[in-house]
Amino acid sequence: MSLSTLAVSQWILARLMPPAQAEALIGDLLEELRLQAGSHVSVAGWYWRQLASSVPVLLWASMRRGAWLVSVVTAVASYIAAVLIVLVLQSALWPMTTSSFAHDVIMLLSFVAAVAACGYVAASIRLGAARLLAFLVFATTCAMLANSTGRAPLWYEGSLLVLGPLATIAGAALSGRLRRVRL
Amino acid sequence: MSYSVKQMPRGDLLGSLEQIVMLAVMRLGADAYGMTVRREIEERTGREISIGAVYATLERLEAKGYVSSFTGEPTAERGGRAKRHFEIEAAGHRALNASQNALKNMSEGLSRRWKRA
Repeated sequence: MSLSTLAVSQWILARLMPPAQAEALIGDLLEELRLQAGSHVSVAGWYWRQLASSVPVLLWASMRRGAWLVSVVTAVASYIAAVLIVLVLQSALWPMTTSSFAHDVIMLLSFVAAVAACGYVAASIRLGAARLLAFLVFATTCAMLANSTGRAPLWYEGSLLVLGPLATIAGAALSGRLRRVRL
Repeated sequence: MSYSVKQMPRGDLLGSLEQIVMLAVMRLGADAYGMTVRREIEERTGREISIGAVYATLERLEAKGYVSSFTGEPTAERGGRAKRHFEIEAAGHRALNASQNALKNMSEGLSRRWKRA
C-alpha cells in the first residue's frame, strides 16, 4: 500500500476521534497491517474493508460525543454571521462607490474581511468548525457563480472563489497562533 | 405461582456487542488493546468486526465506567504510536454479571424448544 493512501486514511480517522484515541487506533491498524502482510489475505482489501466499515461507526460515535454537531452548528452560524457582515459593509460603503470596478473591489474586500473574521471566531470555538466554514464558503461561492447571470468580470469571480476559503483558513490560522502565544 | 423479582438498576444490562467486547478484554487481561480485542472477537465468534466498532464500543463502556484505559509505550511496528490498553472495572464486572444472569434466566428451561427448532 502506498504511503499517500495510508496518510489519507489516517487523516480521515483523525478527524473522527479525539487525538489520543485516533493515535492508538491508527497504530492498531498499522500493527495489524504488518501481521496481515504475512498471510494470504489481500492486505489492501483488508485495510479498505476495515476503513469503510469503521468510518460510519466512528462518525456516529463522534456525533454522539457532540464534537461533530458543535462544529457544524458553529460553522453554519459563522457563515450566517459572515453574510450579515458583508451585507452591512456593502450597504455602508455602497454610496461611496462611483464605478462598477470600485463596487466590485469593495464587494470583494468586504467578503474577504468578513469570512476571515468569522474563520477566526469559528477556530477559537473549534478548529474543525473553521475548516467546515472554509468548505461552506467555497461550495456556496461555486453555487452562486454557477447561477449568476454572467455580468461579473472573470477576475472578480476567480478572486471570490480563491480568496474566500483562503481568508477563512488565514483567520483560523491567526486564531491558532494567538492561542499558542497566550499559552 | 409467585415470582420473586429483584429489581436491577436501569441501564445495567449490556448490549450483545458490549458483552462480547468486555469478555474479550477479560480474556486478554494485560494484553487487551484495540487490535488484540478485535482479533480475539473474530477468532472466537467467527464474526468480522471493524476496529472502529471495537473502539466505539470501548469508548461507550469507558464513559459508563465499566472499563478504563491507559496509554502504553510507543512501538516501531505501530509507526511509533502508543497502544491504548483496556481493563475492566468493578462496575463492569457487575454489569457483565447482571447481563449474563439475565440471559441465563431468560433461557432457562428453553433448551428443549431450541432443539426442536
